[in-house]
Amino acid sequence: MKQDQPAGICEEITFSGFFKSHAKALRNFLYYKFGNEEQADEATQEAFIKLWENCANVPPEKAKSFLYTVANNTTLNHIAHKKVVLEYSKKNVNHDTNNQSPEFLMEEDQFAFKLQSAIANLSEAQRSAFLLHRIDGKKYHEIAEILEIGVKAVEKRIHGALLQLRKEIDTFK
Amino acid sequence: MNEDVTLAKWLNDEMDDRELKDFMSTPEYATYSKIKEFSGRLSVPETDMAALYKNISDNKNKANQPRVRRLNPWIARVAAILVLALGATFFLYATHTTTQRAEVAGRETFLLPDNSEVVLNAGSDVNYREFNWSGNRRLELEGEAYFKVAKGQKFDVVTPFGTVTVVGTQFNVKARNGRLDVVCYEGKVKVTSGTDTVLLTPGKTVAYLDGKNLNVPNAKEHKPGWLNYETYFSKVQLRDVISEMERQYNITISLKNNPQPNSPFNGTVPMNNLDMALDALLPVYHLQAKKAGNTIILSAE
Repeated sequence: MKQDQPAGICEEITFSGFFKSHAKALRNFLYYKFGNEEQADEATQEAFIKLWENCANVPPEKAKSFLYTVANNTTLNHIAHKKVVLEYSKKNVNHDTNNQSPEFLMEEDQFAFKLQSAIANLSEAQRSAFLLHRIDGKKYHEIAEILEIGVKAVEKRIHGALLQLRKEIDTFK
Repeated sequence: MNEDVTLAKWLNDEMDDRELKDFMSTPEYATYSKIKEFSGRLSVPETDMAALYKNISDNKNKANQPRVRRLNPWIARVAAILVLALGATFFLYATHTTTQRAEVAGRETFLLPDNSEVVLNAGSDVNYREFNWSGNRRLELEGEAYFKVAKGQKFDVVTPFGTVTVVGTQFNVKARNGRLDVVCYEGKVKVTSGTDTVLLTPGKTVAYLDGKNLNVPNAKEHKPGWLNYETYFSKVQLRDVISEMERQYNITISLKNNPQPNSPFNGTVPMNNLDMALDALLPVYHLQAKKAGNTIILSAE
């Protein structure tokens, strides 16, 4: 609790501290939502600027949910909502063994590619929930908080996302 | 209505052993497992958070500025000009001094803003401010004037040789050549010259020469004689009598030597007939007059 600071979020130091602890997660979320880095950056900035403009009315403990509300309300109005292209960088693929065959590695690459395009084809709601879990390691209840929905709804979205992903990947074998 | 969320349970490692065993035996499990494994390895491309924060800082400072609404600068300019113009007008109006003057050989009768009446004798000036006159009845007199003051607050006549203060009264003030004569005809008049203060009641007269009380006798008339062109002199130096005649008749009177410099003049001199005036004055000092145009030369008989 930051009750000791009367100026709250309006205090430069509080604001910048708040940015440091929340900006990255917010940007990731917006990235899942839009599937585009530039738009994620832009929407992150806008959310924080909105927070600053309303700093006097937003107590520090409500600031996080304020940010996500703004983020959830942000829509892409300038660009048509066509198929988003995700550019996820892969982590080190050589997880347990080094002696895998080239064929196996190629297969792995192919699968990764397929998975990425399948994720890009998910609905915005499913993708956001799924990636918040897979990449940010958020618990379902945390995801529910971020998306401002119930835990049950999160589970439905994750379930639906997995169904959709498998279907797409298996169809284009 | 229980919707199926088993895949979500599985992904979150919430399945019990039986459920998991059943799930693993399905043909789709291989793909699900791969999805789980591969999606766990994904990451989001990094961005320069410091640059992002800088953008926000720049923007939030900008965003805050428009809240200070700048008025159209012309409004301020016009307002300033109006204030200045009004101020200057008021200042001029408030400090504007009205001057009334009676030229030599002339008279001037006028009313003050409160309808007090002033009659200026020849060659006299009065200055006063019309602004807030009833709150500050004060005028400056050089020369001689008769006042008929309307009732009201105190009324000051400031002369170089003393101040005359009255409340609703009729009085005459003469301030000439270092000498101050005040005659009260009605009401009360307070005369201050130097450190001396005298309160005059009707009929009382006071005269100061260079700040010294001359103890002149009281006037007998109910109005100053000069209003009817008869000037009464009491203990007046000859030169001052001559000055008065010069003013009244608009002439120059030249006196080479005063044969009796230490005897002041007492008496009445007509101011509408020069010959009679000279007749009233000259015998007292044994002088004779010679007229040369607009100049009269006085010399011993």
